[in-house]
Amino acid sequence: MPEISYSVLGVFETPDALMHAIPKVRTSKLGTVEAYTPYAIHGIEEALGLRRSPLGGMVLVMGILGAITALGFQYWISAIDYPIITGGKGAGSWEAFIPIMFEVTVLFATFTAGLGMLHLLNRLPFFGHPVLSSKSIKGITRDRYILALEAEDEGFDSVAASKALREAGATEIEVLPAPDRSPFLTSDYILRTLGGIFAACVVAGLAMYFATKWFPLLKPMANMQDQPRLNAQKASAFFKDGHGMQQPVVGTVARGYLPTATGTQEEAASLVNPLPRTREVFATGRKVYTNRCEVCHGAVGNGVGSLTAAYGAKPANLQAQQFRDYPDGKIYWAIVNGKNSMPSHAPYLSEQERWSVVHYVRALQRAQNAKDEDLKVATR
Amino acid sequence: MSQNKNASNLLWGAVALGALGVLGSYAAAGPERFWANWILWFVLLFTLGLGSLFIVALEHLVSAKWSVPVRRIPERLATLLIPAVPIGLIALAAIPVLYPGARPEAAHHPLLAGKAFWLSLPFFSARTVISLALCLLGLWVLVGGSLKQDATKDPAFNFRARKFAPAFMAIFALVITLIAFDWLSGLTPEWYSDIFGVYVFAGAFLSGLAATALAVLHLQDEGRLEGVKGDHLYNLGGFLFAFTVFWSYIGFAQYMLMWYANLPDEVIWYKVRLAGSWRLITLALAGLHFVLPFFALVTRDSKKDPRRLRRVAYLMLGAHVLDIYWLIFPILGTPRLSWPEFSFALFFLGGILLWIRGAMQKGEDMPVGDPFLREGLEFRL
Repeated sequence: MPEISYSVLGVFETPDALMHAIPKVRTSKLGTVEAYTPYAIHGIEEALGLRRSPLGGMVLVMGILGAITALGFQYWISAIDYPIITGGKGAGSWEAFIPIMFEVTVLFATFTAGLGMLHLLNRLPFFGHPVLSSKSIKGITRDRYILALEAEDEGFDSVAASKALREAGATEIEVLPAPDRSPFLTSDYILRTLGGIFAACVVAGLAMYFATKWFPLLKPMANMQDQPRLNAQKASAFFKDGHGMQQPVVGTVARGYLPTATGTQEEAASLVNPLPRTREVFATGRKVYTNRCEVCHGAVGNGVGSLTAAYGAKPANLQAQQFRDYPDGKIYWAIVNGKNSMPSHAPYLSEQERWSVVHYVRALQRAQNAKDEDLKVATR
Repeated sequence: MSQNKNASNLLWGAVALGALGVLGSYAAAGPERFWANWILWFVLLFTLGLGSLFIVALEHLVSAKWSVPVRRIPERLATLLIPAVPIGLIALAAIPVLYPGARPEAAHHPLLAGKAFWLSLPFFSARTVISLALCLLGLWVLVGGSLKQDATKDPAFNFRARKFAPAFMAIFALVITLIAFDWLSGLTPEWYSDIFGVYVFAGAFLSGLAATALAVLHLQDEGRLEGVKGDHLYNLGGFLFAFTVFWSYIGFAQYMLMWYANLPDEVIWYKVRLAGSWRLITLALAGLHFVLPFFALVTRDSKKDPRRLRRVAYLMLGAHVLDIYWLIFPILGTPRLSWPEFSFALFFLGGILLWIRGAMQKGEDMPVGDPFLREGLEFRL
């Protein structure tokens, strides 16, 4: 079976001869006209009638897509999925997104340019191009200018093509076989590639394992380990007082933690509990009471806790008439300042938690001294 | 010819009318507004002249051949540095009015006391005088030598210019940084940005490129500059495109770092420009100086297209005016745009156009004595 001829090459001695031949060969309409030259010749694209490459448009579209992708990812992460305020900037601050949008735009655009040019437009990879194994290839890379008529379909007439090229002034003619377009990604090829990648991973993993096992003192990347950080319970030379963590400036108050002025217990009597009586507030109060108060004051507030006997102290019986008559502010004052052998709980409890406990203590007192109408509310 | 005469008369009329308004604005609108306008036009004139001289020096520095046929255009535009000298010397009178660092109170200002000597009137003036003198030196060597070469045809000039160009680049960097820091960021001396000189350089180079492209296109309309092709225009357009991106990169990098650090003495400069009507002007600047020219010049053909290139060149010159306005005028409070500004524009634009028209009629349109002219004319992409 004769090999299907793919293209006919005509060799020209000078670029001018090539440029003159192009219109003649193009009018013969025998196949696609292609030129191979050792360097770029001005005006050859227009002479060959090459259409504008679609690559620019592809790069533009993918570049814009890259920008949108980067914007979307960053916005979603930092404003919707996991909004964290860093550096006092609002969630989803666009200024911080720009550098990454820029990078991803360039990434998408260059990958599109590279892969689009190689794969989509030039249909690489494939095994060899016939021109590369032609006799004329040396001339193409040196001092010859070649015009090729390439087959568009199976009806390609290589004899007529040779004649047309010779008439256009070609000094030599060469007929080339069809390119080997056999499928590149055979299963064998894929298996061998995957096997190679797997083997490389195994080798790299083993090398890393033994390297760290045999040379444990080698610290290839110790920046995280040896950073000049503050260690808990250790002196630090950074601040003058040797402390790692600094106290807040005198008089500063954290947001939402404005302390209630208390004074004496009598003065505190007029304070009003700012919290509403909601399920959440009672839940907080119960939790704090269980953790901090119950060991002494007992589960129902009757002053019999599990520690009472061990300490030999006499905690207040919160169910006593004296404490039932206390205003909220006096209970609050006792939590903040302590009373008799009870220490202050101010360092451990936030403003919210203290007032929640006050509500809860009130609930305990009410539960032990329930009235008839309470029963009606409960059964309704 | 009579049409030329008419245009010339019109420009003289604009200058005369503008001069009246300029003088009137000093009396009616107060010295601060007068000097702010004066500095605006001094900086515009200076950046246009020095940006053009930079294009000339760049060609000699890298021995570029493609730009030889159009080199006479930036050389003629660079002569704007000559009128910039008296304008700049008159502007020295603005220092005590507008520059807080040169006032006696600066000695007691906690941030300015350390810079007091640098910002003081004598040293400020000395820097400006030296900068202007260095510009004239560059003009004399690069442009004067090139004009002489037309007659002598002596290639020794090319060797001399190539040797001088690297030194001029150092001079250029120093001068544009000094002028930018002194005259523009000196208006708010508490504010400080390392990259500010580069930002002003990007605008200066862009304005030089845009004016060069415009002048080339206008001369081609008159049938001059024969042999300058789309390939030359493509390179000018490519430069214009690249440096709009460069300007935006520098401008945004400066903004983003200050936004991140959020230091009071730094962000106040942007705070002023992002409040009230200035916010709109800031957005307009980003649109006109970056977004619009970027998309107008992004395709290959648009850089060669004379109509497109002309529009973008006009746009870039306008955007440069807006840029310098945006740097200076916030010190006056809300954006000012009324008859004093228009008078100054009439006076200075008329004067600049008259100067350029005069320069464009003198001597040869191309450096005919340059041995590389032929190679430049044969340039193909």
